[in-house]
Amino acid sequence: MAAVARREKGSALLGALGIGMFLLAWEVIGQNRWLGLTWPALSDVVDYLFTPSRQTLFLRALTASLGSLVIGYCLGLVAGIAAAMFAHTVSATRSGLDTMSAFIHAIPSIALAPLFIVFLGRENTPAALAALSTFFVMYVTTTSSFASSRPEWIDLMRVLGASRFDRLRMLDIPAAIPIIVGGMRLAAPSSLIGVIIGEWFGASRGVGVLIINAMQNFQIPLLWSAVVLAVIVSLSLFALFGLLQKYAERRFR
Amino acid sequence: MNAAGTARENGMTVDAVPSVQVRDVVKEFHLDDGQRLVALDGMSLEIPAESFVALIGPSGCGKSTVLRMIASLDTPTSGSVTVNGNPPAALAANHRLGVAFQDHALLPWLDVRRNIELPYRVSGMPVDAERVSQLIALVGLTGLERARPKQLSGGLRQRVAIARSLVLRPEVLLLDEPFGALDAVTRRHMNYEMQRIWAEEKLTTLLVTHSVDEALFLADRVLVMSARPGHVIQSLDVPFERPRTVETMRSELFHRLQDELTAALDSRAEP
Repeated sequence: MAAVARREKGSALLGALGIGMFLLAWEVIGQNRWLGLTWPALSDVVDYLFTPSRQTLFLRALTASLGSLVIGYCLGLVAGIAAAMFAHTVSATRSGLDTMSAFIHAIPSIALAPLFIVFLGRENTPAALAALSTFFVMYVTTTSSFASSRPEWIDLMRVLGASRFDRLRMLDIPAAIPIIVGGMRLAAPSSLIGVIIGEWFGASRGVGVLIINAMQNFQIPLLWSAVVLAVIVSLSLFALFGLLQKYAERRFR
Repeated sequence: MNAAGTARENGMTVDAVPSVQVRDVVKEFHLDDGQRLVALDGMSLEIPAESFVALIGPSGCGKSTVLRMIASLDTPTSGSVTVNGNPPAALAANHRLGVAFQDHALLPWLDVRRNIELPYRVSGMPVDAERVSQLIALVGLTGLERARPKQLSGGLRQRVAIARSLVLRPEVLLLDEPFGALDAVTRRHMNYEMQRIWAEEKLTTLLVTHSVDEALFLADRVLVMSARPGHVIQSLDVPFERPRTVETMRSELFHRLQDELTAALDSRAEP
């Protein structure tokens, strides 16, 4: 027990050291302009990001992106889990739904985005792309998570005379929760990618808009700041869902 | 030995319809390499209503398969399995079956009380809180109602599983090596508890075990199975009065029967 804790502490320390070295390298390379003008120092980016006069710009972009993210993520989440439950209860639909979701996933978002703009309009495309990638991750993790009901639990439900629905409600869903939450964690960053790609194709606001505009206008510190912002959002969501996953594992296993 | 009979049997009408009947069952499994494995051949047994039958046999003889057929978890290749004249699936569908598995099969996200209440929720019947509390007391889990399975020892988990199998007062109780994973001392302790519980509930019971002691101590009748393909090679009506005690287990007769059954188990192991 103590050995495991020590090892975990050790690996966390090693991880922090790695991140520290990466950030230091970023700063040194930028300060000395070893990679030219397009690589700013970390301190310059942070400085740019936290300048009070630019707060409204970033805040507005962030609000727009997070709005699309929440809508798209929730839609994809509900649709993905619902489709997986449907495939699980009506087993005849399972292979069809599997193929369909894999097929949708195989189409690059970049190729779909112009189509979505035509169908749904510029403002809805980021959320739609986020929903699509969330749907796929959630469908795949939820269908596979239903395999986590152990055979003896399934036997138990059978000898108790449980209906299919009771089994889903009392066994399959609770047993699947830790894996579903793990899927939610994975879906968050890929959902953000969907939002940013969607915004590139001409949304009026958002972190993706900042990135594309800054690139086209060669505003290097702005470009880097917007990317850092996207990374911060992505990592925060990942960490938040990580905590949720830890809780779910303690509660349901 | 059969002449001795049991007090219980003497009190029953002679031609009472057996509660559980397994008749001429053959069970074949198809292995991955295309070979057939005959697990059971000519397997027959009867469990009269309200009696306790123990099934012992060498490992791999198919005794758990017999239990799984009565639980409607498995079907015979040929032959018939009936419970009160009906197919066993009807019993499960009507929530009249209690099973305690070798692996306790407790749901880890439910506490002790909720695990025991599960059969009520599955059957759609209202939870009888008093019955649940009584059973918790009966199996000696008072004070642990809110504990999760992972916080309990193996013996305590098995008690929860037994309480769960009893909670709906099932028509048939099936015990598949419920104490198989426990150490010898806990196991013996659980056998005493099981006897006490059974004396109060009087259920038609089948116990599958590989322990001769356990079978002799708990059952009205002990059936010995042959090695694969399994079938019953010996039937012994246990002559001891209930309640059985430590003295019973120390008696000369107990040891003699123990030797007899062990010999019956062993005879088939030799070529």
